[in-house]
Amino acid sequence: MRYYSSFNLILLLLSSLVLIFLIAPLIGMFLHTSTTGLIETIKERDVQESIWLTVWVSFSTTFIFAIISVPFAWLLARKDFPLKNLVQGVIDLPVVLPHTAAGIAILGFISRDGFLGKVASSAGISFVNNPAGIALAMAFVSLPFLINAARDGFMSVPEKLEKAALNLGAGRLRVFMTISLPLAWRSIISGFVMMFARGMSEFGAVVIVAYHPMVAPVLIYDRFSSFGLNYARPAAVIFIIVALVAFTGLRLLSNRKKVTYSESDYADS
Amino acid sequence: MLTLKNLSKKLGNFRIEGIDLEIDEGTYYVLLGRSGSGKTQLLELIAGLNRPDSGEIWLDDENITNKKIQERNIGLLFQDYAIFPNMTVFGNIAYSLHSDREGKAEVISRVHKIASELNIEHILERDTHHLSGGELQRVALARTLIKSPRLLLLDEPMASIDASLKDDIKRLLRRINRQGMTIIHVTHDYREALNLASLVGVLHNGRIIQEGKPDEVFRKPVNKFVARYSGIRNFFRVSFSKVNNEWDAFCNETTVLNLKPGTYPDEGFLLIRSDGITILSERPPEGTVNCLKGKVTDIIPADQGMELTIDAGIILYADISADSFRQQGVYESKDIWVTLPPENLIVLQGPD
Repeated sequence: MRYYSSFNLILLLLSSLVLIFLIAPLIGMFLHTSTTGLIETIKERDVQESIWLTVWVSFSTTFIFAIISVPFAWLLARKDFPLKNLVQGVIDLPVVLPHTAAGIAILGFISRDGFLGKVASSAGISFVNNPAGIALAMAFVSLPFLINAARDGFMSVPEKLEKAALNLGAGRLRVFMTISLPLAWRSIISGFVMMFARGMSEFGAVVIVAYHPMVAPVLIYDRFSSFGLNYARPAAVIFIIVALVAFTGLRLLSNRKKVTYSESDYADS
Repeated sequence: MLTLKNLSKKLGNFRIEGIDLEIDEGTYYVLLGRSGSGKTQLLELIAGLNRPDSGEIWLDDENITNKKIQERNIGLLFQDYAIFPNMTVFGNIAYSLHSDREGKAEVISRVHKIASELNIEHILERDTHHLSGGELQRVALARTLIKSPRLLLLDEPMASIDASLKDDIKRLLRRINRQGMTIIHVTHDYREALNLASLVGVLHNGRIIQEGKPDEVFRKPVNKFVARYSGIRNFFRVSFSKVNNEWDAFCNETTVLNLKPGTYPDEGFLLIRSDGITILSERPPEGTVNCLKGKVTDIIPADQGMELTIDAGIILYADISADSFRQQGVYESKDIWVTLPPENLIVLQGPD
């Protein structure tokens, strides 16, 4: 009994230390930020624009790449093909790369000397210092989170269900849309949230591709390096609040349970 | 109706090889085999979920070997039913009709009709998470039958339901078959074959090693493996010897059984059905053939009576009726006599 009590005490102590380590800097930041400072910062146009830019670029990037990547994740979950392990490794590569290095790689790709840059500039578009460039940098570093979560989600859907749907006469697309996708939905949303979050918080890769227009992490860094901690802190607090609201909202969405295709769906309207 | 011609398929280290099968309209075909024998793979080949490496599948005089799964109209009931958990019972049953782009009123009417036939109309609006095994199976059957498939494939349909529901499901399957549906039912349980089959095939290591009416297969198994599948547990490696124009099987040094006239090899297997052993508490009359004295070492209640384990120089498993059990006053460690009529002894040649 005594052993268990001591063990529980150690567990409690260690857990508390980890939690304090995670929460203390954030609480400290909130405590050191005055309400008036916060209100004044919220009113600043470049802060508003920066946060809005960060949120919409990250969200639309995640959305667009989700449409392209989710079927790819299904492929990885269901099919075996030559060099599949290599492909899996390539997908995880951005996670292990230093993000500044990822930014350099992206910049090389989208600058006027790069392949995509050349194609874009012939159409009069420049990715550098442009939201499109920011989107590519965000996507590069955050895509593995979405693909891996979606792949795991599809793997957890019994293949038998897809086979049963095919046997009932459904085409491959209908099976994907009515069986695979809805049943892997939570994992996909979870990956979506992770990619969105990772994109929003990305600094290293984005700052190399586009210092301007400033996404929130670049704005915070800019304020810190130019004017110091006190000036950067309110912007950081506001960004954290916005991020928390966005993630909580998406998490709540992913936890909704829905049984579809009941008789009411067939009732004549 | 269904013809498989020399069907082969390699799946990892496993191989279905040279399957030839011919099933007439209205047949209830039970394919017996233990897990890993290739039963499910064979059904998936017929349904079109996998393509064979070689061979042909013909259905109603049409070669469907390379036909798309959606166009075969072969119903497949999966072992664990594969009910879609993101849909209600109604959504599950209506799934295939949506594929056919039926009108909404028609869909509702057909779902209610089949649900009523299978006695699940009251659960149509439920989600599927809290259904019992029996209900799930009826939903899966309704979902498959609503499309009026040309052929119904059942993968271990009794494996996931309570024993008490099995009889209901058997009655239901018999009724569906009597209505004209051709059924291929795969199982590892020979009793399902006895109860339902008009034809039985035994699948072993990807090959059909015996086929015929249930009686023929279970009375005359071609080898030890099939015999085991027909519920025979009394197996003895024996040597055969002809003495005074009569054949004897030597089970061991003390137990010798008299065989019916015939030709026998030097060595082989002797099989005795558990229900082919007669139990007597009194010594039988002088001259009774194959009469052994033994002791009851174990008694286990069985479906139709009792299952006795008897040490009679050889260990015998005998099924006796509850009446016979009472009449003979059998109890554990009681000395009894068993008679093994020669016509109940099955001889297998060769090592398997």
